[in-house]
Amino acid sequence: MTRAHAVAALAVAITFALLFSLGRPVVLRAQGVDVFLNVTGGGTKKLNIAVPEFTVVAGADTAGAGKQLAAVTGDDLTFSQLFAVVAGTGSIPANNPAALKQSWTDFAAAGAHAGLHGLLSFRGDRTEAEMRLYDLTTPEQRLIASKKFEMPAAQARRLAHKIADEIVLQFTGEPGVADTKVAYVSGKVGAKEILMSDYDGQSPTPVTRNGSINLMPMWSPDARSLAYTSFAQGYPDLYRAFPFERRAPQTLAAFIGINSSPGWSPDGKSLAMTLSKDGNPEIYVLTVATGTLKRLTRHAGIDTEPTWSPSGREIAFISDRGGPPHVFVMDAEGANVRPLTSGGRHTQPRWSPKGDVVVYTMRQGTHDIWAVNADGSNPRRLTQGPTDNQGSTWAPNGRHLMFQSNRSGTWQIYSMLADGSAQTPVTRGTLESTSPSWSPRLP
Amino acid sequence: MVTRSKQLIVVSLVIGLAAFAGCAKRPATTAASAPAPTGAATTTGGTGAAVTPPPAATPPPAPPTAAPAARPSPKEFTAIPELKPIYFDFDKYDIRPADAKVLDANATWLKSNAQQLVLIEGHCDERGTNEYNLALGERRAKSTMNYLVSQGVQASRITIISYGEERPVCTQHNEECWSKNRRAQFLVKPR
Repeated sequence: MTRAHAVAALAVAITFALLFSLGRPVVLRAQGVDVFLNVTGGGTKKLNIAVPEFTVVAGADTAGAGKQLAAVTGDDLTFSQLFAVVAGTGSIPANNPAALKQSWTDFAAAGAHAGLHGLLSFRGDRTEAEMRLYDLTTPEQRLIASKKFEMPAAQARRLAHKIADEIVLQFTGEPGVADTKVAYVSGKVGAKEILMSDYDGQSPTPVTRNGSINLMPMWSPDARSLAYTSFAQGYPDLYRAFPFERRAPQTLAAFIGINSSPGWSPDGKSLAMTLSKDGNPEIYVLTVATGTLKRLTRHAGIDTEPTWSPSGREIAFISDRGGPPHVFVMDAEGANVRPLTSGGRHTQPRWSPKGDVVVYTMRQGTHDIWAVNADGSNPRRLTQGPTDNQGSTWAPNGRHLMFQSNRSGTWQIYSMLADGSAQTPVTRGTLESTSPSWSPRLP
Repeated sequence: MVTRSKQLIVVSLVIGLAAFAGCAKRPATTAASAPAPTGAATTTGGTGAAVTPPPAATPPPAPPTAAPAARPSPKEFTAIPELKPIYFDFDKYDIRPADAKVLDANATWLKSNAQQLVLIEGHCDERGTNEYNLALGERRAKSTMNYLVSQGVQASRITIISYGEERPVCTQHNEECWSKNRRAQFLVKPR
């Protein structure tokens, strides 16, 4: 293949990904190397990207950030399952086009299709990172895109996440999910607090510190707050924490009985929840600004775990009205209840951000994560024992899930692609980590 | 196959070049910066890592706090040997015949100790999932309460609470242990 073809081929790969970001694998040939971007599943070929140490262009890198941020960006790109990080050894000197060109030439010879050059500027308590992304499949080493990000120095790690998300955007048309958080429950029997960390499990910080039992965190759609259930006042009540602000938790519901299982409406204005104040667990919707409460379900059985469709028009939930618990769907006003799943015991439904799929937990001796199309067709198993896998939460792009598994002997959080492949630990440690909630992209 | 690949490439080239015309040659240069943290909390955890604050939100309206009706604190209640726990089958909240006899005895004690308020705790084993178990524990406490009321105990003396799977009495992972955790238990306090 000629070089001219190769130039076009990378452009085509990018364009195809932009045009068909929901499914089609793209197979092309560039310099005898397959350029293959498949944005939905795992197990396919990836785009090779070189990520050398970031170059310091202003200020002093006293903490080794050049090396660290390149590593984090590389890990983020690897996590996306779209890229393989290759060949990017060493650092590239500042303001030296010849050295840059030589590095790219070397990395391309070692198999890299693209190269990331990061440039760091330290300015007091702010750190700036510039991303320059190069196409290495052509001798021109074309600059595909560049972008600058700035953060307080203490949050420099987010610069790497933002660069990785931008690179994923450049190649797929949708940003990556590295600049996100995961909230989860950590602790032991009788003492459970909510923590949050970067999506990769790093930098854990407390969200609650009340010494009680805190359960089921759920990020609001603006990624500024978390709804959760806490026994802090003795009973299971619903609260909202503001983990980025100096602000006390807000009580959302503290009725007699259980107040639990928060599910945010896509616009963040309403919160579906389970209350048993009127006799048994039923689903209600709270309009957060006004405190208005509307009851949606009326059944003698258990109705709980509401999850909104991204359109806001429907709510999936579980009910044992037909025997063992199954997933049902109703209109957001509570009418037109119909079953989505049948057979088995199904809990923990979570509607995908794209609206096409609902994942849930199936119990068959142990628990595994399943998915079903939103029209009820094609129920399929995503995890395969032998221990329990449950409690899944979607990444904001609908490509990844996190869930909890006791495969290591204690409950920990893992991630996987939405087809069940590429399962990877997120949390490690001696304390249990359960009930993950993956945040939307941070503002 | 070869022909198919070639066709794909040709078609792709047309699409690719058309879509990229005018934008593929120049690098897109944009700048974005995260706003400075504005009065944000810098809570630090055991790791010493800083929280990453997004810009402060506009304060939401007054909290829709649901004023709790009178709920005695569960801490005020204590267990007594006279009131025996009852147990449930997996994923069930109906009262088994043998447990009904236990409840009959509990009802008799409560009727003859009318100054005592009672807290019924509903519990589940660790299997199943948190949210569902919280609801299931509630149903167990509720069916237990309903049975006591049917035996003449005043409903106004009874408070119920579900702990779901969060307060097991036994922490091994086997049926012997699970069967002890699927329970309703009773605590009392004087009026």
